[in-house]
Amino acid sequence: MLTRLSTGGLLLASLFLSACSDEPQSTDADVAPAYDDALGRQVVSHYGDVALATYSDALAGARELKTQIGTLLAAPTEANLAAARDAWRAARVPYMQTEVFRFGNAVVDEWEGQVNAWPLDEGLIDYVNEDYQAVMGNPGARANIIASESLKIGEQTLDLTDLNAELLASLNELGGSEVNVATGYHAIEFLLWGQDLNGTDAGAGQRPATDFATGPDATGGHNERRREYLSVVTDLLIDDLEVMVDEWRPGEENYRAELEADSVENGLRKMLFGMGSLSLGELAGERMKVALAAHSPEDEHDCFSDNTHASHFYNGKGIRNVYLGEYQRSNGETLTGPSLSDLVAANQPAADSQLKTDLNASEAALQVLVDSANNGTHFDQLIAPGNAQGADTVNAAIGALVVQTTSIEKAARVLNIQALNPDTANHSF
Amino acid sequence: MRALIVLVSVSLSMLLTACSNPRQEVTVQLANEVLLPAHQQWRDSNAALVDAVETYCAAPQASADDLETAFYQAQSRWSHLQPLMVGPLSEGNRSWQVQFWPDKRNMVVRQTESLLDEADPLTRAQLEKASVVVQGLTAFEYVLFDESVALADSRGRYCPLLTGIAGHQLALSESVLALWNEPGGMLAQLRDFPNERYATADEGLAAILRTQITGVDVLKKKLGTPMGRLNQGVVQPYQAEAWRSRQSIENLQASLQGAQAVWERVRSLVSDAALVKDIDQAYAAVANQLAALPAPLMVLVQEPAHRETLATLYAALDNLENRQQTELARNLNIQIGFNANDGD
Repeated sequence: MLTRLSTGGLLLASLFLSACSDEPQSTDADVAPAYDDALGRQVVSHYGDVALATYSDALAGARELKTQIGTLLAAPTEANLAAARDAWRAARVPYMQTEVFRFGNAVVDEWEGQVNAWPLDEGLIDYVNEDYQAVMGNPGARANIIASESLKIGEQTLDLTDLNAELLASLNELGGSEVNVATGYHAIEFLLWGQDLNGTDAGAGQRPATDFATGPDATGGHNERRREYLSVVTDLLIDDLEVMVDEWRPGEENYRAELEADSVENGLRKMLFGMGSLSLGELAGERMKVALAAHSPEDEHDCFSDNTHASHFYNGKGIRNVYLGEYQRSNGETLTGPSLSDLVAANQPAADSQLKTDLNASEAALQVLVDSANNGTHFDQLIAPGNAQGADTVNAAIGALVVQTTSIEKAARVLNIQALNPDTANHSF
Repeated sequence: MRALIVLVSVSLSMLLTACSNPRQEVTVQLANEVLLPAHQQWRDSNAALVDAVETYCAAPQASADDLETAFYQAQSRWSHLQPLMVGPLSEGNRSWQVQFWPDKRNMVVRQTESLLDEADPLTRAQLEKASVVVQGLTAFEYVLFDESVALADSRGRYCPLLTGIAGHQLALSESVLALWNEPGGMLAQLRDFPNERYATADEGLAAILRTQITGVDVLKKKLGTPMGRLNQGVVQPYQAEAWRSRQSIENLQASLQGAQAVWERVRSLVSDAALVKDIDQAYAAVANQLAALPAPLMVLVQEPAHRETLATLYAALDNLENRQQTELARNLNIQIGFNANDGD
């Protein structure tokens, strides 16, 4: 999505032995097999188990969210709205831990847009404030689906009368604009919170529960359609998560089977690529550095709910889960099994312990964002112009992720995985 | 796809007799004859921009022509430098202070105007505290070229900003140059090995190459984004870099030349003559196609008649990137690591 001219500071230098050192040096060709193939296969398979458990928890979270939304729509009180918001936040905990599966596994990346696309021009969905700033040239930026029975885009007129799942899904990337996001977590987030009009000051979106009321106290307008939209879009999220859970079930004809039938090396590559891509380009870069450098709350990940700190924290947790082969489920149970860490440690214990140290450090740095939010200072305040301490906090998290990425690369080298991008790794010449 | 690091690192298999190796010579040459001069020229273009702003803002009747020329030059030197900005400029937030792109939400307008509303007249100190969006060439370009800004009639409002940005750019480029030239600085780190940045010349060479390879990837993005490659083929003229000054293509050419300057020095290290020829041809193909484009990029993307021309150009850039990123890397025994494009 976004591109910067440089990720500034994110460029890494890797350490190598000097070619002129007195120490005898080995070449790649001299190295014994980097890992035990049978163990490697178990590691990839357990990765599938971790993915299955995490997506299953995300699905359960979405179902609970639907229940709470049902309660809200039955009785649109502030208390019920708060409960629905809590359910949304809870649903994000496992989902954010699934994002590490996204990069490297095309089946996830291709599916993800309908589920977690961000950032969005929310004026596509519902009413927005006058000084709302959309992406230049986006024809759907102020479409307001909830208030409109039809929508003219170019020469085409779309019938919006019936707000069904198929229609909403078809409106994603309307007019070719990736910020036209009609479905997924962030569409639901916007419906539950509304726009955050506080900029980089304290406070999240303030949508009143009466936006979902139908009686004389109703606010917002077009409330039947807003209610319908919220209900339909949440059902669609559940459907989408069901599809992804099915992709990871063992013993079926699905993506999991493909992954396990492929070479161990390709499986490990996908695991490492997901970790590194999320760590560096996505989390450190797009989700933190862009927002910080531009002081731009529009580039904040969970900008309506001010839940960004938690999203970042659980993104980080997902990276850790993949490396350690661990996942703490929503019910508190911990899943463990053969891991990348085991493979790296068997070959080069120092590389393993370095990466574990770095994972601990990045988790601690992301925890500072969470603590700050819990003390009333959220991510959008940390990135405010002139907030030097806030910038330090965010930069510390970015820095820890950058360092950690170096160690992920190192771990890949220990496992003799050269090219990390699965899309080009098998390029033949 | 997203932004940009290609992490490349030289593998251990560079052999032992290598202490006076050709790679070290090439690395030193690149530093002295390509990288440092590009930084120096960027600095000089910023000094000229400072002068041009001063002249323009001092004379109420002055036309903006000279100022525009100075801006084009500063933007061009910056474009040339992008595939070469290994070291200090790529660190911290420095490069973002030069240019903020893409600016999909047009933040430059809001942030510039609200900064000027709050600070009348704007002081340099206020600019230094503001966001990177208003400190660099993107904001300068907005003021100079956007149709909504009546610069000639509102010099009182905008001149302090233009002066501030040009001054900020000059100071930034001079501080980066100082980091190159100081004892033990970047230049020394690409000459005397081992040092705290690079253990070997190979590491230095790998860093230069990964910056250059990233630079070519960025060119694809700068071309592909307005073509609508990220938007189901729906063209996005306002997502073109430098759309306001209509300099997108000139900037692409300047960056390509910067990238090619690295290749010219690295060529002698490549053991495969056919590959050398392929890469030479890949550069020539992109350069020729860029030179033949008949109108500004934001215009071309909107004209169906030029779709195919642009698609062919994109394919040529893609070919160049692949040759370098995969085949050249393999030939030089360089390992490709993470690319921040690896996000989305």
